[in-house]
Amino acid sequence: MTGHAFFVLTALADGPRHGYGIVGEVAELSGGRVKLKIGGLYGVLERLAAEGLIEADREEAHDGRLRRYYRLTRDGRRALAEEAELRAATARVVRARLGIAGAEAAG
Amino acid sequence: MSGNLERRYRRVLRLLPGWYRQQWEEDMVAAFLDSWLTGDPEADKYITKAAGPSWAEVASVSGLAARLYLGNGADALRRYFAWGQAIRCAVLAVMLVNAVRGLDGLVLTAWSRGVFGWLPAPPASILPGSPGPWPPVVWYLVDYAWIVVFVVLVLRYYRTAQVIAALAIVPDLARLLYGQFTATIPSPTVGPWAFWVLLYLVPVLAMTAFHRDAQPLPRWPWLLALPANYLLVAVPLLALQATGNSAWLPDFSGLYCMLIALACLAHAPRAWSRKSAGSGVWSLTLTLLAADAGAYRIFSTADYLHDPHLITVSLAELLILMAAVALVATDAARAQTSIPAPPPHPHRV
Repeated sequence: MTGHAFFVLTALADGPRHGYGIVGEVAELSGGRVKLKIGGLYGVLERLAAEGLIEADREEAHDGRLRRYYRLTRDGRRALAEEAELRAATARVVRARLGIAGAEAAG
Repeated sequence: MSGNLERRYRRVLRLLPGWYRQQWEEDMVAAFLDSWLTGDPEADKYITKAAGPSWAEVASVSGLAARLYLGNGADALRRYFAWGQAIRCAVLAVMLVNAVRGLDGLVLTAWSRGVFGWLPAPPASILPGSPGPWPPVVWYLVDYAWIVVFVVLVLRYYRTAQVIAALAIVPDLARLLYGQFTATIPSPTVGPWAFWVLLYLVPVLAMTAFHRDAQPLPRWPWLLALPANYLLVAVPLLALQATGNSAWLPDFSGLYCMLIALACLAHAPRAWSRKSAGSGVWSLTLTLLAADAGAYRIFSTADYLHDPHLITVSLAELLILMAAVALVATDAARAQTSIPAPPPHPHRV
């Protein structure tokens, strides 16, 4: 799973969001490191939708435009949990190798 | 309210395939406008009048368009998938030509340095020179670089191949510019420029078709193609040149046309039978290569305008190429709609 896909799924983990809402949430989650452009975001959304990891939730009118909200599917929630576990395990190994405090407790 | 800004962004979105826009355009426009508009009517009025998509935004849409047009595995429409695969195969084929040329240059250099002691020294006429402002070592590196580019591209280190290839075309560009400005390249000089554009620049740019989501090409057949092509094409040519029997050989442009024509002839039975899966992609690949070779032949003929015999030979080569590619052109056209759907890419998400 790419870093962008991981962040987008995480942004949807606590509830549905529309396109720009996801951009803002990803920026916040990453501490401003990941600033998705709209073209990049919809590339990721299209792939995640094709994989059945997200789906459209609803559409809401806002300033005369329709905002489409997306939510995680059950598969998406499972894939995100697996990826989070994989990344956490990798981080534990790295911390242990580097001798960073807290690694032994985790692993 | 969002008139101009929206219009500018929709213009950028025209880069995307129609089927994709149908599904995602309104949503993308809404998200884009959300990213600009503040809710303050005065500020928004100014923004919508003066602002437009940033270069980074345009680049992100262009990247998405390239991925969609050049095929991304399971969900790309077949037409785009066929084009993507054909472009990747054609780029690899041109890189193979460059790698064989590079290998040929390195072998000749080694031969001239006495590495093959059991052979007589090669005639000076076939030894590679060191044209332009660069010392010989640069040309050895360029020869070596094309071999590396081909191998790492086949091994799917796409970014590395793209970077090395982009660097490898620079010395030749410098040589051409140097020759042009110092008049050391005899005029007219259309052929060398056509070579640089059609065999270096265009394929290097087309290497963007190799990306993470692209359907990978098989490694071993392509890797084996390098020694096979060197032994079957370069060595006989080298033998003819070394023994002084090369007067009847076509120039490189003619040779390129003849090789593509031969490949079309060899592929024609498969293209006509249509029993083998993937045949259409190869027909499309050969059509692309024939277009490249044909364009090179046409432009390089401009250097022979003083010689009616060479013009006749060039036209004959062009006609042979066109006749050969006509044998696979129908299959190439069919490929865009009838090839089987590609299997899902294992690295997707």
